[in-house]
Amino acid sequence: MHIFKLLKTFLQVNIQMSLAYRADTVVNMLLNLMWLGWELLSLSIIFANTNTLGGWGPGELITLLGVFRMVNTLMSAFIWPNTEKFNASVRDGSFDYNLLMPVDSMFLVTFSRITVWRAWEMLLAIGLLVSGISISRDLISLPGFLGFLLLVISGMLIIYSLWIVLIALTFWFTKFDNNVTILQALMDAGRYPISVYPVWLRIIVTFIIPIGVATTIPVQALRGELAGPQVLLFAGVGVIGFWLASRVWRAGVKRYSGASS
Amino acid sequence: MLKIYQRLWQVNWAEYWQYRANMLMYLLYWLISPIVYLAVWTSIANAKGSVNGLTANDFIAYYMTLLVVDQLTSNIIIHIFAYKVQDGSLSSELIRPAHPMLTNTFMNNLASKALNLLVFIPVWGVLWLLYQPDFSAVTALNLLIAALAMLLGFLVSFLLSAAITSLAFWTTRVYSVHEFYFAISLLFSGQFVPLQLMPQFIQTAAQFLPFQLFLYFPIQIILGKLSTAQIAQGFLSGVIWLAVAWLLFRWVWREGVKRYSAVGA
Repeated sequence: MHIFKLLKTFLQVNIQMSLAYRADTVVNMLLNLMWLGWELLSLSIIFANTNTLGGWGPGELITLLGVFRMVNTLMSAFIWPNTEKFNASVRDGSFDYNLLMPVDSMFLVTFSRITVWRAWEMLLAIGLLVSGISISRDLISLPGFLGFLLLVISGMLIIYSLWIVLIALTFWFTKFDNNVTILQALMDAGRYPISVYPVWLRIIVTFIIPIGVATTIPVQALRGELAGPQVLLFAGVGVIGFWLASRVWRAGVKRYSGASS
Repeated sequence: MLKIYQRLWQVNWAEYWQYRANMLMYLLYWLISPIVYLAVWTSIANAKGSVNGLTANDFIAYYMTLLVVDQLTSNIIIHIFAYKVQDGSLSSELIRPAHPMLTNTFMNNLASKALNLLVFIPVWGVLWLLYQPDFSAVTALNLLIAALAMLLGFLVSFLLSAAITSLAFWTTRVYSVHEFYFAISLLFSGQFVPLQLMPQFIQTAAQFLPFQLFLYFPIQIILGKLSTAQIAQGFLSGVIWLAVAWLLFRWVWREGVKRYSAVGA
């Protein structure tokens, strides 16, 4: 398909670009591993002092960390680099070239830059998911697991959609170039189950910047805390969110008048 | 000399004042992780009654104090200095008869702190109303001693960061080096958890490292948790680290400037 061919090309181009910085890639991967060690150490300190956190055991928290790192990969492999490029292109008018190409502009803007070494973080995340799920496998049923997979995907879709809306705002407010800082700032709240947070923070990470929807809620489904209709509701939010975001994007592109003309 | 500082203050303050709306965003960065840790530990303390003798109230007081101390002792040198070495814009500062790090970068840090505090104080007030921390153990004397400890912590942290950022003269990977330093400091400063809940070997190591001067030591002084002997010991280690950090910075800076080739300028 057209889109997959393009993705493959983007990936090739980005791999070539990153090959110029091989040593940096190794350093980045090592640093990422160090942060994983840091996170596991902090979990071990928590569980040296308690058996459960908000009712969750070590297995669930490791799984949550895995989901968190997947969302983080989405952010750091696609969202940050593409936002940077996009903001610059609206300011200097080179966004024109995106519109001239015979491809969906939203696709082009969100996937043309890929931080390739983050595939490593994805691998670590999958490792965390597998080990977390096998630690707490007694708690998990097959429907729970399927709900989990569905909600991980829809959670990513929700974050992706929110991002589209945030960067589309740049079409209306050109100076709004720290449009994703708020996403970045709230990321840290994704590492722990949102049920332990105070109400106001829970509201923020559920309804305003739904980091919690992308991280805690899939693990709740995994534990069987969510009923079938609830799982479908959250999955529906993902689909509707994506639809809304693409509408906002299209309206934004219509507003765009070029920086040079 | 005083006039240089005064003028640089005006310049840096005016520059930050332009970006005052952005400050609110950056403040979120500072706030979120302490509030998350606060929530995690109070939830555990509430479930169990207490963690190692610390109650939910103790955790609230600890992290509410941490938010203030962190504002005062931290610095942003890596963000405001390293790129100047890389793009060559440091050249114009080097030919001036004032030390770029100890005057301009120093005042830049203070200006950003001042503006941050303007936004931070009301936010902290709201959090205070939400959490109702128990500060009954705080006395004027504690605060006075803690002010000295925070000054010491700030200076040590400033000089160590300055030394590490000066590695930019050798390598473009200075950001990675700093990230490593930052992770270590998170662990040993008491940011993640009050150090007394850490495994014993980390606590022992933390006593000999400078990082607890940035957060844990001043916080414990404010909350009245330390004996006179412990305070004296902390200050002694602080003064030693100040001397070490000063010598280290001087040396790295001198060797670094020799290597500086003003790429791009």
